[in-house]
Amino acid sequence: MRALPAVALAIVLVLSGAIAGASSAIGLVKVTEGMATVQRGDETLPARLGLALEEGDILRTGADGRMGVVLRDDTRLSLGPESEIRIDRFLFAPAKGSLGLVVKVARGVMAFVSGNIAKLSHDAVRVETPVAIVGVRGTHFLVKVETQ
Amino acid sequence: MLSRERWYERCSGSLVGGGVCLMLLASCATPGPPSPAPKRSVFLLIPDPEGKVGQITVTNRTGTQVVDQHHHATTVQSADDAPSPPSALDETEIKRIFGEALAAQPAAPARFILYFRDDSEELTPESEVSLPEVFRTIRDRGALDVSVIGHTDTIGTREYNYQLSLRRAKKVADLLAKQGVDRNILDIESHGEDNPLVKTGDQAREPRNRRVEITVW
Repeated sequence: MRALPAVALAIVLVLSGAIAGASSAIGLVKVTEGMATVQRGDETLPARLGLALEEGDILRTGADGRMGVVLRDDTRLSLGPESEIRIDRFLFAPAKGSLGLVVKVARGVMAFVSGNIAKLSHDAVRVETPVAIVGVRGTHFLVKVETQ
Repeated sequence: MLSRERWYERCSGSLVGGGVCLMLLASCATPGPPSPAPKRSVFLLIPDPEGKVGQITVTNRTGTQVVDQHHHATTVQSADDAPSPPSALDETEIKRIFGEALAAQPAAPARFILYFRDDSEELTPESEVSLPEVFRTIRDRGALDVSVIGHTDTIGTREYNYQLSLRRAKKVADLLAKQGVDRNILDIESHGEDNPLVKTGDQAREPRNRRVEITVW
């Protein structure tokens, strides 16, 4: 029988709680060039290599900037110059059935390669722009946002 | 350019519109201050790194378009302008618009799967052999982060399997740390029986689902 002593169970639950609490990172910066920043709340951080990303982060590039990030579910986002995106929502806990990715592209150019969230749930990935909303099904796509 | 072509397509469908269109085109041909091309947002589908083509659905309050062919794009002028029917975009244009963003695309993370004995956090002999390769990859890439996610098959309760897959992930993390991987870059997670590699019913013995997935960033 697969029964676990109550004591062991309690210890494991405490440990798993600690792990879940420690990792608010949803991804990290893998490519950065020129003017590239991450805005978190009121703080603006230079987008250095390996910088951990959090839900709600705003990624920006200047005229000479580029940035590439990988999210925990393998989603890859990259920005050309003069671009701005916000990682609005990132939920990747398949065990709890919570999956979701919402990226807002305010301006500029973004390349998107979907990861496991799109693989596990067809309607969980959305890219929002000022002119339209994009539903994503397991794919690689490119968006340029240019408004009047 | 794109917009004028689209104008033409739209107009050629209706006689009345056709007249207006010809007038507009004619006025364009007469000398005068060139009117700037209206700005349009572009949504382009390309094959993913494995060569598969997915699908995007572009929607706003005036319409929706599905793009499911590679190198096809829909364009949108504003939130009040319906997305255009998808049309092919040529390679030069794709490079011009998207080249910089594509150049900044990070490499895909390296992935490994290690398998386990039934109801145990002991690696199978085959997986024990491939552990050094995982370690080498972490070292050679100068990895910034290594995700270690435990999984189980569906034998046993959901809660039990959550704990079992957590033990598997912790075991792999311990083995890597022992070889010199910095614990601070190891990110341990447990997905229990809910993220199987091979879909099965409940209470199914499936060796391919008894695993830890390692992602080296």
